Amino acid sequence: MRYAYFPGCSLSSSASDYDLSLKAVCRALDIELVEVRDWVCCGASSAHATSHLLSVAMPVLSLSHAEEDGFDRLIAPCLACQLRLKAANKEMQEDPEVREKIHRAFDYQYRATVRVYHPLEVMMEEGMMEVIRSRVRKKLSGLKVACYYGCVLTRPPKIAQFDICEDPQSMDSIIRALGGEPLDWSYKTECCGVSMTLTRSDIVLKLSNDILREAKEVGAHAIAVCCPLCQANLDARQIQIEDRYRVQYGIPIIYFTQLMGLAFGAFSKELGLEKLITSPRDALEICGLM
Amino acid sequence: MEVELTEDRGRLAERLQGITGENVMLCYQCKKCTLGCPSAYAMKMKPHELMRALQLGLEDPVLWSGTMWICLSCETCNTRCPQDINILKLIDGLRTYYLNRDYYNPVRELPMMHRLFLKLVRRFGRIYELGLVFILNLKMVDPLKDTDMAMPMFLRGKLKFFPHRSEGAKELRKVMSRLEAMEEER
Repeated sequence: MRYAYFPGCSLSSSASDYDLSLKAVCRALDIELVEVRDWVCCGASSAHATSHLLSVAMPVLSLSHAEEDGFDRLIAPCLACQLRLKAANKEMQEDPEVREKIHRAFDYQYRATVRVYHPLEVMMEEGMMEVIRSRVRKKLSGLKVACYYGCVLTRPPKIAQFDICEDPQSMDSIIRALGGEPLDWSYKTECCGVSMTLTRSDIVLKLSNDILREAKEVGAHAIAVCCPLCQANLDARQIQIEDRYRVQYGIPIIYFTQLMGLAFGAFSKELGLEKLITSPRDALEICGLM
Repeated sequence: MEVELTEDRGRLAERLQGITGENVMLCYQCKKCTLGCPSAYAMKMKPHELMRALQLGLEDPVLWSGTMWICLSCETCNTRCPQDINILKLIDGLRTYYLNRDYYNPVRELPMMHRLFLKLVRRFGRIYELGLVFILNLKMVDPLKDTDMAMPMFLRGKLKFFPHRSEGAKELRKVMSRLEAMEEER
């Protein structure tokens, strides 16, 4: 299967490990990724706080490149990007006034035919789970994983139309397929606060601490994530959180694609594991992967 | 708090409905939005109080509370509202309407961040993380903020020193200028 690939700003810099591991997993699953020609930033939370039209226009620019180049499916691995792209598609399909204005601003008339997928949605496509199971070489036996889905993978349900909104299961089922043990916990979709990470770090530290504490309490060896922004908050800020709340977590925040890659037998270098700030060594030794 | 209901009290709600299409009058104060809101604890005016204040047209208290900027855009309130009010859309309506207006804002750094973010994206087509952090820290008069977090990232090659440029930036600038011209027409 061939997909247009919209890495987003994070994956081309601070989340290069997510980019590497996603590509490695897609190779193993015979999914071809073709980077969208001259893509630009999705606008994240800044565009929709500035102008509604701009928040539609920025994703449409990249989506229209994919459409022009003949793609009808696109993968966006960052939660913020995939929501902005999906929301823009919905506006273009359903709001004639917005569509008319956007068409006036662009030379190419985007018809909203490119369907946007988060990688987890691709893994949940029919028949994919069997393929994933068949690729597993080393099981994640004994590894207790808290799957953290973040804020906007399943919200708002009108746009996301994926998984169970308040208690998603897709990543849990992947971890189970890899031989690991997904944990039941209540912070799966709580917000980590990333949209204020540069401005109100106090809020981010509190919210991220709540997530880490709950994961520790249910006995997680690692937290699996599916968004570069959540990862940066929970991993790179973990030292600050431990310092501020006088606790010791040391929980590695690992992309679900890295866990898949490990189970498929890829080398840790191919998956960017050395880029994680909280070392995954102890957790991976549990299942004999390090 | 005592509020005198005059005719122009409804203007704020009407104006917001004009911008967002959402009707604040549908809210009956069940407080589900506030109970699910991750940043409500940091708001002087909680989400359900914001809804009531909008119904009553209390413009100044709404602005001075800073609530619209403390919202994290996590979509929990929208998902849970039994009246199906898109509260985030209302908040975005407030943000866009007041972004370039002069008023007392207790969390000025938020609109500042959005402006800077878009300025950088307009220039490079993509976000220049290190540049954004650096300029923002200077503006907030806290130049060393988060260096303890940035250093390990930098050492692992997770923060790029130079910006990524997209060939799409030129097209983006053209589209942004056209949109601005359209918005000025109105």
